[in-house]
Amino acid sequence: MEAQRVDMFIMANGKFFESHQVAIVRDRLLEVDDSKWSVIQTLQFKNPTTMLIVSLLAGSLGIDRFMIGDTGLGIGKLLTCGGLGVWAIIDLFMIMGATREKNMEKLQTVI
Amino acid sequence: MTISSKQLYLLLGVLLIVGYSWILYSGTIMQSSDSALEVCIFKKVTSLPCPSCGATRSVSSILKGDFIQGIITNPLGLVISVIMLITPAWLIGDLLTGKKTLHQFYLRAEKVLNKKKVFIPLIVLILCNWVWNIYKNL
Repeated sequence: MEAQRVDMFIMANGKFFESHQVAIVRDRLLEVDDSKWSVIQTLQFKNPTTMLIVSLLAGSLGIDRFMIGDTGLGIGKLLTCGGLGVWAIIDLFMIMGATREKNMEKLQTVI
Repeated sequence: MTISSKQLYLLLGVLLIVGYSWILYSGTIMQSSDSALEVCIFKKVTSLPCPSCGATRSVSSILKGDFIQGIITNPLGLVISVIMLITPAWLIGDLLTGKKTLHQFYLRAEKVLNKKKVFIPLIVLILCNWVWNIYKNL
């Protein structure tokens, strides 16, 4: 794909990935065929900051984990009142990274 | 980040150990003072019970053989008891044989639960249970 398009994508969506992954994403996108562009453009990524807010407000019910697609962990948190509150607090620090990893997974299914 | 089998087994192990020690602790030491059992952050903040409040009381009633009282306190206690009975055996079996059946089952269950037909009824059930919890004033 053209470097200009790739850089545009990185500028708009760079915040959705881990910083160490951005370079890999750029390299992969440069290799990818132009026909994939329309699909990549329509991908909806989860915003890590939004997830942090959800985690703050409803983390002890596991809603943050449900939203990023970790249903099993979400049920675990829901059944244990956010792991007696401890897991909910740990997830406040983990959820942004987990969201970025999920975004990367989503992109990897396409490219 | 799909959870790896190592992470899952570690997490389940920690959860089970904490869960069993919590039941032992609440059953032996804190029996007299019920209010000390309340560790739920949600309840402390909002003064409303959360969907799984009362699970400890429910599990301890079930342990005493009083299934009906357990289900009346919180039906989720029954789910938790079943999970806590089955997973340790499954976990140890997997660790001994070196197979990953529990991890495969977890991933498959997650896929099924992500279907709309499955998760919407479950959410409705949890919400009904929550309303019942608030009504019972657990």
